[in-house]
Amino acid sequence: MNGREKQKQKLLILYASQTGNALDAAERIAREAERRGCPVTLLSIDCFNVGSLPYEENVIFVVSTTGQGDTPDSMKAFWKFLLQRNLNQRWLEGVHYAVFGLGDSGYQKYNFVAKKLDKRLLDLGAVAIVERGLGDDQHPSGYEGALDPWMSSLWNTLSKMNPKFFPNGIDFLIPDAQLIDSPKVQITYHDVDKVHSHFSTDSDLKCIEMQIERVRSMHPGKFSRDKNRPDCFLRMVENHSLTRAGYEKNVLHIEFEVLSSAIEYEVGDIVEVLPSQSPIAIDTFIQRCNLNPESFITVHPRGVENHLPNANINDSKIPIKLKTFVELTMDVASASPRRYFFEVMRFFATAEHEKERLQYFASPEGRDDLYQYNQRERRTVLEVLEDFPSVQMPFEWLVQLVPPLKKRAYSISSSQLAHPNQLHLTVNVTPWTTPFKRKRTGLCSKWLTGLDPQQGVIIPAWFIKGSLPAPPPSLPLILIGPGTGCAPFRGFVEERAIQSRSGSIAPILFFFGCWNEDNDFLYRDFWLSHSRNGGVLSEEKGGGFYAAFSRDQPQKVYVQHKMRENSRRIWNLLCEGASIYVAGSSTKMPSDVFSCFEEIVSKENGVPRESAVRWLRALERAGRYHVEAWS
Amino acid sequence: MDTKMLQNSTLALTDHEVLPISTVLDAVRKLDNAGVDQCDPLIITQASSLSQLPVESSSLDIVISICRSLEFPCDKLLTEISRVLKPGGTVLIQKTSQSVTGIKDGETSLERKLLMAGFLEAQAIQLKPVVPSEGAQSFGIKAKKPSWKIGSSFSIKKAEKSLPKFQIDDDMDLIDEDSLLTEEDLKKPQLPVDGDCEVGSTRKACKNCTCGRAEEEEKVEKLGLTMDQLNNPQSACGNCGLGDAFRCGTCPYKGLPPFKLGEKVSLSGNFLVADI
Repeated sequence: MNGREKQKQKLLILYASQTGNALDAAERIAREAERRGCPVTLLSIDCFNVGSLPYEENVIFVVSTTGQGDTPDSMKAFWKFLLQRNLNQRWLEGVHYAVFGLGDSGYQKYNFVAKKLDKRLLDLGAVAIVERGLGDDQHPSGYEGALDPWMSSLWNTLSKMNPKFFPNGIDFLIPDAQLIDSPKVQITYHDVDKVHSHFSTDSDLKCIEMQIERVRSMHPGKFSRDKNRPDCFLRMVENHSLTRAGYEKNVLHIEFEVLSSAIEYEVGDIVEVLPSQSPIAIDTFIQRCNLNPESFITVHPRGVENHLPNANINDSKIPIKLKTFVELTMDVASASPRRYFFEVMRFFATAEHEKERLQYFASPEGRDDLYQYNQRERRTVLEVLEDFPSVQMPFEWLVQLVPPLKKRAYSISSSQLAHPNQLHLTVNVTPWTTPFKRKRTGLCSKWLTGLDPQQGVIIPAWFIKGSLPAPPPSLPLILIGPGTGCAPFRGFVEERAIQSRSGSIAPILFFFGCWNEDNDFLYRDFWLSHSRNGGVLSEEKGGGFYAAFSRDQPQKVYVQHKMRENSRRIWNLLCEGASIYVAGSSTKMPSDVFSCFEEIVSKENGVPRESAVRWLRALERAGRYHVEAWS
Repeated sequence: MDTKMLQNSTLALTDHEVLPISTVLDAVRKLDNAGVDQCDPLIITQASSLSQLPVESSSLDIVISICRSLEFPCDKLLTEISRVLKPGGTVLIQKTSQSVTGIKDGETSLERKLLMAGFLEAQAIQLKPVVPSEGAQSFGIKAKKPSWKIGSSFSIKKAEKSLPKFQIDDDMDLIDEDSLLTEEDLKKPQLPVDGDCEVGSTRKACKNCTCGRAEEEEKVEKLGLTMDQLNNPQSACGNCGLGDAFRCGTCPYKGLPPFKLGEKVSLSGNFLVADI
């Protein structure tokens, strides 16, 4: 039917990852296949042309379900394509597939993405190789608990389907000693003399910008698809706590000057920042791994198949200082390494008891203990290396396996109309306690807390669109934003207040929630001032501001309670065409709020709950119900 | 076997070997006096193991079941009875029991069975036993098959207000993705059983606890170490000083950095751990 030459029996693995877990799982599956002699193509699902799916013979899907039951961003286009009504039930005839899902059974919509994908593929005529596997965060060893047995049955069935997949049988494994000689990257060290000096110390913003892009592009890690070059630089001009001093929660209000004339952002947008790592941590890491911080290096992928298709290996790469490379791309004191890190460590441990322990961690018996020690406890790379002092890993392996330094995303809490050339953030920097009772602060949180506007610190930033489209002034709004969820809505309210001076505006109902009126009532004066004197949130203008203080009385009072008290007002505004925006913590809040809307619609109309649900779902499809949820 | 589409067409089922017509007619009389004379019942005996009826759907007015076994008719047979009855048709189940208490239990469980099988208006009736024997009592339950067919619609008493309509911009014709989920998928998932056998393992604070639970737990047990244990650490197993990777689940030094046995344990010297 097509002119393509017969492919070697290759396995195609497509992953849809939001936070990197599905990627890790997919890489593990790829590795296990390759160890058994089965060649693999590993791609992010948004790098795959969905129209050519019918021509694939064997595809493995590894897909995460996000907190609200949604597909990861990288899968949205693919999924939309697959849902088309005009695809008939024979479209995928001849395609064999298997699905592995990553989810959390603490949520109602547990692994919905994997379940729906599995069914849709079936309906389109594809044949399942094995039953879908469902990984669960709640399992004592996380998703690996389900992945191991699922993979086992996958190899079994695949080899029965076609022995060519595993020419030496599925129990044959390429000896580890052979694999350990081939990390996925290659490091070239360059003569210091030959390197131009102006690349090392320039403080000009343009140079820094380009350096960041160069360095980040050189790392093999699959950072998000978008740009490695920062969109702009921000200079911190204000940084103070919004919460009462000494309170167990700490939320910062931070103001930046945007150092670029061309930047425009809308309310509801998201800014990403790259945190700086502690200099002491970096030095300790470099010393511990016997590296020379001053050497100049370039990093290349070894072999091309499984890497970003748009990586340009012909780019003449300019050497960079090893220390700079580590600072900008390798997370040494915050993110936890994966199981594979421990598997590789075993080869480079010289102390007998360490080798034994690592052997145990890599075994099925030790898998749960490893999960407790590492993932659940949020063990950092430095801590792991400290616990296994005899391990000396070559830099190539470190580059491949130390978790990549990730940008952190925050909703912008200001409007350019109100503060031209500025950008405000509302950041929760509250420390948490690990299962082993260690008190920890997030890397970015700690870094931001320690920044003093007096220092004139400048940080690189990227802008991305979130799930909250900026509303036109004529659109009535129902906003639900407990805790730091109020951040984007501060921008909304600021903007509308300015817009009200030059034209008519539609009302806003805003529901806020926090623990105590006296302790963490974020932006209290701001909300109150806009809810008086004919302000945007005032009753006179048809608006409203409602705050729930959950811990100020013996029984809990949440935003839902306030919403129910005002169900008539909410319904009336919905009838006038209002859009609903929900923002905040991603655990139960968004679904509790949706539930509350169901009740309100049902009650105000005397219709059964099911009708209310259908109506709200239609509202979502019509683009009038938006949720931005973060963890 | 042809079924005659007569008025009052009747089927009688029994687990007895023999069933006189008069018995059937007696039973029918209990239900509907008028049509008895035109009744020409189809009788099936020894029906205890029967699970299918050789009768067309919705073709019978009455089904009588006369039995002595408590299990008869089984649920499958009840479903069959429901199938062959016309909407609005009647079923009468007559049972014999040796004891009075048996009747009460029998009645209740039979009523329940009938309701589960989709019948309505289950009522108890007094009957003579089929085969009179000492101490034997009969009881009967009659019930009706609902008079609406599956899938038909009917108006409910309260008029449903219709919710306001609005424009939906569907740029592509897409199927409803929620239709891809089964009943099973939609059920609230069962959380896996916590197989943690560690001492004191009840629901612990989460890994990034921000609700305050972890602080509470901390207050309760502080470090769990005495000053002596910190100044002069000893370890029977030899692993305590090696770091968390090697410590047992119940090690009192859990969470602390590695140390050398006999040397004082540093608490906040480690910059990696925020000051406690």
